[in-house]
Amino acid sequence: MKFYKDHYDVIVIGGALAGLSSALMLADKGLDVLVLERHNLPGGIATSFVRGGIEIEAALHEMMSIGPKENRLKVGKFFDDMGVDIDWLPVPECYHASLPGLEVTLHPGLERFSREVDEQVPGTYDKVLKLLKLCDTVFNSVNELSIHPMSKPQMLLKHEAFVKTAGYSTKEVLDTFDLPQKALDLLAPYWIYVGSGFSDLPFTIYSVLMADYVGYGSMIPKKLSHEMSLKMAERAEEMGVQIEYRQQVDKILVKKGKAYGVRTARGDEIYADYVISSAYPNKVYTSMIEPLTEVPAEATKMVNGRRLSLTAFSVILILDKPAEELNIKDYSIFRGDTMDTDVLYENLAGLGPYRYLTCICHNYGNPGVTPEGTCSFSVTVLPRVDGWKTVAAEDYDRVKHEVAKQLIDDMSDYFGVNLLDHVLECVIETPMTIAHYTGAWNGCIYGYAHTMEDHIVARLQTAEAERFIEGLEFAGAHAISGDGMGPAVTNGRKAAKNVLDDIAAKEAKR
Amino acid sequence: MKVKNFIKDVGGASRVTKARLNAFASASPALESTDPIGDVSRAWHPGPIELVVTKITPACKTAKTIRFERTDGGKLPFFYAGQYIVLDFKIGESLISRPYSISSAPFEARAEHPFVEITVRRSKGDGFICDYVNDELKVGDILTGTMGLGQFYYEPLRDAYHVVALAGGVGITPFASMAKEVVNGTLDIDLTILYGSVSSDDIVMRDELDKLDGVCDKLKIVHVLSGDEPGWTGEKGFLTAEIIKEYSAEDTTYFICGPQVMYKFLHGEVAKLDVPARRVRFEVFGQVKDIAVYEGYPRDLRDETFELTVVRGISEVKIPAKSCESIVVALERAGIRIETGCRSGECGFCRTKVLSGDYFVCPEGDGRREADKDFNYIHACAAYPLSDMKIKIPIL
Repeated sequence: MKFYKDHYDVIVIGGALAGLSSALMLADKGLDVLVLERHNLPGGIATSFVRGGIEIEAALHEMMSIGPKENRLKVGKFFDDMGVDIDWLPVPECYHASLPGLEVTLHPGLERFSREVDEQVPGTYDKVLKLLKLCDTVFNSVNELSIHPMSKPQMLLKHEAFVKTAGYSTKEVLDTFDLPQKALDLLAPYWIYVGSGFSDLPFTIYSVLMADYVGYGSMIPKKLSHEMSLKMAERAEEMGVQIEYRQQVDKILVKKGKAYGVRTARGDEIYADYVISSAYPNKVYTSMIEPLTEVPAEATKMVNGRRLSLTAFSVILILDKPAEELNIKDYSIFRGDTMDTDVLYENLAGLGPYRYLTCICHNYGNPGVTPEGTCSFSVTVLPRVDGWKTVAAEDYDRVKHEVAKQLIDDMSDYFGVNLLDHVLECVIETPMTIAHYTGAWNGCIYGYAHTMEDHIVARLQTAEAERFIEGLEFAGAHAISGDGMGPAVTNGRKAAKNVLDDIAAKEAKR
Repeated sequence: MKVKNFIKDVGGASRVTKARLNAFASASPALESTDPIGDVSRAWHPGPIELVVTKITPACKTAKTIRFERTDGGKLPFFYAGQYIVLDFKIGESLISRPYSISSAPFEARAEHPFVEITVRRSKGDGFICDYVNDELKVGDILTGTMGLGQFYYEPLRDAYHVVALAGGVGITPFASMAKEVVNGTLDIDLTILYGSVSSDDIVMRDELDKLDGVCDKLKIVHVLSGDEPGWTGEKGFLTAEIIKEYSAEDTTYFICGPQVMYKFLHGEVAKLDVPARRVRFEVFGQVKDIAVYEGYPRDLRDETFELTVVRGISEVKIPAKSCESIVVALERAGIRIETGCRSGECGFCRTKVLSGDYFVCPEGDGRREADKDFNYIHACAAYPLSDMKIKIPIL
């Protein structure tokens, strides 16, 4: 029986947000696309599952780059343009910061946020607003330059702030603002969404993070992230994309430096002009390229020269009381016993006790997400892969429970309520869980760390030279824009654009 | 705009690009990247594995325990006591899967001579796989299995230290696994098993259980017979609230596994105990015997046979599908592989897209995601055709 066409224009490995974004954009341009996804549903970690009759969000805390209907940001606009109609709910706040000497809930809007910081640390309003506006300027430059590249002198003229801050770490730029420590602490909690300590985090990335989240707020889909993933997949199929689930791709077939197809675990060989891989370069260049002699030495060196960023550990509880009765008052709580991001980054290399926790109570953003009289509450740490790489299979269950217990106990102390007395359902998601369901290399969800040695500006400068195998593109957190569900969409679009540009260039030659 | 000085500021982009290229230039050229986190995930969930039957022993006059080992003799995957294994059978033209609670213990799967066991009772005429396992399966047979599935296990962050297991008939199997694990010292709970059977010669795994009982003060096994039997000195009657209460501690979690009629009865009895909902855990319901008894099912259609068009990739086949049988059963009868897990509508392994046609979803344990309902996805083990239908399933 014949399950596949003789040939496709593009095969996309992985039907999560990046891969589906590639597929949507390519299908929109009339290309014949096949998506192969190893799981039996789309989305990767942007998914949900049902436990005890309750549907539970697997991963999404807050989606950036959406914006309100009348003023969409780039990801929201892409969904609109593609006809992917998601029921977005605004997240009511930026975060509740629970830090040494601080208990405060901050809200989106550059002025409002600055005012709220000023209420805690009087006299800082102007400086904080100036900083956030600088972030916003850099953010706008990044967005514009990603669509309209220009020469360096032109850039210096039109995007001065972007150019002049590009070579500095977040810490170096923040230092020039001469802000009191408490104000700096309130400007730091989102760091975990980009995952590097401020002395190594490019200010460019910090700018995008703050301008997007603080400037415009974030969103969640009403029917959890599965709504987003499924609507993308359904729309792609409507546009002619063939999506096949439960198909793991084992090999990418390469001949004379050019990718020409894939082989699945089932044994099907499928051919295409282009392959877009959501599998990590680490996996592709060490075991998927067939034959491996087609892997250039530079590709291996690149993989070895980059540092994997963060993975995730979450304990998700369905509790048998409404949130307010358990003293849970906010959608999101960022809690740390320090806000020194360099210290916290070191702490994430181990297996706990973890010092920086991210908590979500979905009921505050999405009323009715759990049955009457119950609530959903999750505690997440985003550790580096280093510590979890040392856990042996026979110790896995013990370690996972020890870490989960630490997280729950810590938040129980904070609320003054023993959450363990109210657990209807308890789900522990670990780096291994992520590896199991998505195949992500070492369960890493953040791709490569944003550092001064692996700077996004440098990534953009060298991107062309790093397309080592003709016809092979990468889409996922490991691609240029890095981690996050918003950037996943951007990464997918960039891979599709490379394919489209390549086709156009070849046609022009002809 | 100034961060440090003009020259340094404008040289930023070149500086970071050089830094990145330098890092790559000094990196090792060897293929040395490893995936130990992925390796652990595969040790727990390797996917389907090849198993060989190495021993068959009677578990009572109507049931047998089947032991499996890996064909390569290697260790079996880690799992939690209470979880199940899905076994794939090829019988005639049919490709059939069935979930069975694992009756052996997790430590036995990792022992020097690792094995995994299921205990299956001959049916009373309605489960031909149960009969196949009892009558046809023999030592040396090879089949594939996927194990470590299901949510019916002790979770220390959720459940009370005192566990009362309420078992009926062959529903003892997950608790046999837990009991062995408790005695082995690898499951730290205080476990009391209240085990309801009709008569003493009907008690599944009795010899094994009696050997475990009394070995360790954290395990107690109490047989409860519903039939009148001369000379029986143990507990009698059904598993009523009264007897359950007698064996409960102040804070107890109840695990319940048995036939469907027992679930209905125990829902009522457990309600009388007045314990919080989080303390009561039922194993999945299993395939319903007669879908036509459910409200909303159009009884006038119960004897129909419809045409089911099955799309896999770019190919299509048409097969018959009875309205009183789930879509999974229609596919299995036609020899079309579909992945299944719990066969109760909950786990979603058999998640399937309906392209056209009407269907009825069994209301017992409908585990579909909300967005899936909006886009006509079904869990095919719990959905029944009510017209000609067209579905898309994974290529397996």
